[in-house]
Amino acid sequence: MTDKNGRVLTRREFAQRAALLSATASLATAEAVLPAPLQDSGSQGGGSITLSEAGQTEADSRYQQILGLYGNRFSDAQKADLKKMCYELQPALDHIRGYALQNGDAPALYLKPLVEREKKPQGSAPAAKKS
Amino acid sequence: MLKEAVLYAPISELARQIEAKSLSPVDLTESYLDRSARLGPKLNAYARLMPEAAREQAQAAEKEIRRGHYRGPLHGIPYAAKDLLAVKDVPTTWGAKPFANQVFDYNATVIEHLNHAGAILLGKASMIELAGGMGYKFASASLQGEAKNPWNPDCWTCGSSSGSGAIVAAGLAGFAIGTETWGSIICPSAYCGISGLRPTYGRVSRYGAMALAYSMDKIGPMARSAEDCARIFAAIAGHDFLDRSTLPIDKAAFTYSPANDLKGRSLRVGWLKNAWKQYDPGIAKIMDAAHKVLQKRFPSVKDAQLPEGPWEDAASLILSCEAGSTFGELIRSGKVSELSDPLGRIGGYVQQTVSGSDYNTALRIREILQQKMTELFDSFDVLATASQPIAATPLSADLLSPELTFPDPLGGIGNLCGLPALSVPCGFTDKKLPVGLQFVARAGDDLAVLQAGRVFQQATDWHRRHPTVNS
Repeated sequence: MTDKNGRVLTRREFAQRAALLSATASLATAEAVLPAPLQDSGSQGGGSITLSEAGQTEADSRYQQILGLYGNRFSDAQKADLKKMCYELQPALDHIRGYALQNGDAPALYLKPLVEREKKPQGSAPAAKKS
Repeated sequence: MLKEAVLYAPISELARQIEAKSLSPVDLTESYLDRSARLGPKLNAYARLMPEAAREQAQAAEKEIRRGHYRGPLHGIPYAAKDLLAVKDVPTTWGAKPFANQVFDYNATVIEHLNHAGAILLGKASMIELAGGMGYKFASASLQGEAKNPWNPDCWTCGSSSGSGAIVAAGLAGFAIGTETWGSIICPSAYCGISGLRPTYGRVSRYGAMALAYSMDKIGPMARSAEDCARIFAAIAGHDFLDRSTLPIDKAAFTYSPANDLKGRSLRVGWLKNAWKQYDPGIAKIMDAAHKVLQKRFPSVKDAQLPEGPWEDAASLILSCEAGSTFGELIRSGKVSELSDPLGRIGGYVQQTVSGSDYNTALRIREILQQKMTELFDSFDVLATASQPIAATPLSADLLSPELTFPDPLGGIGNLCGLPALSVPCGFTDKKLPVGLQFVARAGDDLAVLQAGRVFQQATDWHRRHPTVNS
């Protein structure tokens, strides 16, 4: 696996940037879900990820945003993991932002126009009757 | 009770006997129920067995068939459905404690389709909580606990369709329904030594299924062979006015004819050279053998390369953004803390910090990738590679440890573009754990992966092997 500059990524590097991956499946692969909480702590407070100054500021801002909204919910260990995850998310964001896109490159939305708006079916599944 | 050989028979064989009235759907159901009650709990395979309802369905099927009304190849065949599919008046837990008592008063469209086909629902298969939507790092991330692999109960089945994989591999049902957002059908199928189809996005209605990532979720069959997957897929595919993401009628429907499907075009197979950075040593040998089988059956096999780009990053960001929205209320309310996995309890908070601008950028990259993959499929009908570069992992493994974390560009690309994929068994490691071979095709060409799998299974017998599961 190489990054967009053709540099070969190690598994560990991938694990760190695989950030957000969420859901799904398995382990290794994508399930690789969210940024893995790192075992080691780094000088940036976000594990061993090296970010640009702007990237670090953005990651810190993301972490502060979470704390500002929900800070009292987390233990110190969870806060440390959250901070690392915010740092680990940053490379993925940098990669997609760095990809060359033209103004005319439209998003691939899986949306279809509503042809018969008046005939709204039950549409979205009704909620559970109790839970 | 019926012999184990019958319980492991493919649907095509069971259906032939049921249609000929030499096999009773009631006997088949009772035998699967008995086996499921004995072995299911040991494997954490089921979220819930539904014996009374299954018996009612079996008796109804038997009566119909005796009267000469045979609906087709799924009539009288017992199955299990992943516990994120709504079944009327039966708890649907999504594998997660916050939803442990959730009950819907309607059936998911997939369940309705299978009811119409005459299939018999034995129960709900266990799964990873919220299909892994908030992230997880341990196999135990499930309301039912870790699903144990019938080939080695000290190993995991993979997720998130973990129970579905265990049920089919252990011979607890004729087939199971799983779902995939990224890897959740392909990986459990590989780890469990079964055949699993991830259909093209939009061919199977998701009405009544738990949403995780609206633009990536798919529902598909997990069964004993590619042919079985084709028969089940034919029953569940189709446009649904209740799910606007389904494809139009003519593009969503799938008809299956075993004879014609093999007489069709000669598939151009691309053997992917850059899907996995490396295999575990035992798997490399197995993949070489699978490659040789394909070369014999498909003279046009050529090496192929996936395009390079930030596809996995785009896929992961889209998935995370959509999951962060889907489960927004769970996160905001703090109930996410009730999830069992330590990563799942906090992952959603990070997901919600991705901006709309970045989400849209990822969607724009998705469009470019779709074009690149369309160009690749101008040269190939199917791409082939290992389903996973490793075999089943120990139950207690940290799934995010460096040795278990590796790039999966094909998984990212396939799920970002909604491409169909099929995993079929292709061998065993020295530790007797199954290994899967994966086929991927152009969106809408599910038939190509099913054809490739059928041809491979005509030349091999890996899919006929099953574990010895002690009761």
